[in-house]
Amino acid sequence: MSFVEISHTADVKIQIRAPTLEALFSDACDALMQVIYGTSRKGILKKDIAITSQDIDSLLLDFLSEVLFVSEVEAIVFSKADVHIDGTNLYAELEGEPFNRQKHAKGTEVKGISYSGLLIRHDANGFMVEILFDV
Amino acid sequence: MLQGVKRIDTYEWEVPIGFVAGMRVPACFFLSESLSESLEPGAIQQLANVATMPGIIKNSLAMPDIHWGYGFPIGGVAAFDLTEGVISPGGVGFDINCGVRLITTPLAQKEVTGRHDVIERLFHAVPTGVGAKSALRVTGQELDTMMVKGARWAVDAGYGEPNDIVRCEDGGCMKEANPHQVSSKAKQRGVPQGGTLGSGNHFLELQIVREIFDEKAANAFGLSKDQVCCMIHCGSRGLGHQVCTDHLRVLEGATRKYQIKIPDRQLACAPVSSPEGKAYFAAMAASANYAWANRQLITHATRLVLKKMFSVDYDEMPLVYDVAHNVAKIEEHLVDGKMVKVCVHRKGATRSFGPRTADIPQNLSSVGQPVIIPGSMGTPSFVLRGTSKAMERTFGSTCHGAGRVMSRTQAKKRLSGKEVIANLARRGILVKSPNENTIADEAPEVYKSSQEVVQVVHEVGLSLLVARLEPLAVIKG
Repeated sequence: MSFVEISHTADVKIQIRAPTLEALFSDACDALMQVIYGTSRKGILKKDIAITSQDIDSLLLDFLSEVLFVSEVEAIVFSKADVHIDGTNLYAELEGEPFNRQKHAKGTEVKGISYSGLLIRHDANGFMVEILFDV
Repeated sequence: MLQGVKRIDTYEWEVPIGFVAGMRVPACFFLSESLSESLEPGAIQQLANVATMPGIIKNSLAMPDIHWGYGFPIGGVAAFDLTEGVISPGGVGFDINCGVRLITTPLAQKEVTGRHDVIERLFHAVPTGVGAKSALRVTGQELDTMMVKGARWAVDAGYGEPNDIVRCEDGGCMKEANPHQVSSKAKQRGVPQGGTLGSGNHFLELQIVREIFDEKAANAFGLSKDQVCCMIHCGSRGLGHQVCTDHLRVLEGATRKYQIKIPDRQLACAPVSSPEGKAYFAAMAASANYAWANRQLITHATRLVLKKMFSVDYDEMPLVYDVAHNVAKIEEHLVDGKMVKVCVHRKGATRSFGPRTADIPQNLSSVGQPVIIPGSMGTPSFVLRGTSKAMERTFGSTCHGAGRVMSRTQAKKRLSGKEVIANLARRGILVKSPNENTIADEAPEVYKSSQEVVQVVHEVGLSLLVARLEPLAVIKG
């Protein structure tokens, strides 16, 4: 895990640092799942996601929005995302398990991923982003 | 107070043009000295950002529960010209028509105090928390009808009575709704969630009317001292969240297409009159209607439980009112001496229409609409009434709640769910939740004083105090 929740009064703000863009997206997916379902998540089934967006920040927002949608509609709690990025195209292989109320009702629903303050930065140490989840 | 912000009056502050580049009008907010101590600079920045949007009329406004959100600040209100102005999901939020309703009951406090069985039955009747699904599955054409007719759909289907519709803002239905502008993804999310409460700050609460401030208005609203009531706070669930997500993507493109400069991508917008703006508005209205139907379904489930447990009649539990506090509407307001139609955004703000305005029930015309301000688990909720002052100053708007002062990270460090539940139990307040973490997140300590927030809107005259209600038992998602 390489994300931290940073102080925000109304919503959940997550800061992620990762060596690669792919790891940044993967950790963002992990953060989203942890906020909603808690830390106990296993990978016993697979799901693929493909996204194309107009820029890299939108790609992250669209990817997380799609994860949120699939997770809710198919009742899957994801534990891992293997992300491949080519320009502004993304392909991700996700692992997860069926939602179990006893085990996974540990967090809070995320209503949406906000654009506010969403800017992926890149420097010598790698990639960094802060994302706001509306809860 | 922040540098650059000017005090206009005891409770009124101005953020002048120039505070951020591109402001078209000054921003204005209402706050007491003590509430200003917890004001976040980010919230004022967001308030000023709204003032840069094309076609904004008079001021970018914020209510005394202002806090840092995304796009608009929470507590933000702005009206836009229908020709020159824009519409933005950033001025509504993901939870379209998140709102509150209040029903009264003929029960007395002693009948419900300490009754764990009542809260347990209500908890089982209203699906609550992460992943909770409804036994009711509204699909296909039926779901479309629900999005077109709103609360009326639920009443027609047997989940309420005709007077419930009269006591909803807009009659529980925005006529501009078009379910064809709602994606199949949003509809998929909506199917299993009709009648579910959700999580976070959403709640169902049994309360007692502890104090009446305005006998005449309370009487008109059907409220009396020592009456047990039920307050329901929730919104349009995954359907509305997906509509916001989908249309934000479209409006991002539209912002560039119409060459609109915005300081925050969450303020993505399009002219109200453009195809993209109209599509968002129609989908948002459909989501608002889903939310009204949702609160109506929860009301019905609640009434059935209370009817069975206390042998009271269904029609002895009338709806006081239902308000939306995350929504955009086309309304008529006085601008430069003329009544004109404008697009009002309320993001964490409640409509507060005064006496003799359109769209309030006829028998409430002399007092103004009921305004319902929810507290949090341990703090009081309030009923106020709409005013002419709100019509003049804030496009008929007032505050929506207490507003947080402590982040969730701080709350979790300082408080445990168990402790919060035990503290509330000592005060005679029962709490039921599928998740103790939420309880710590939503503890009374993390919110501003709801009393102080409503006192400001009362003093300014944006709405006037009618009654104070205190919690007896709470279901938290």
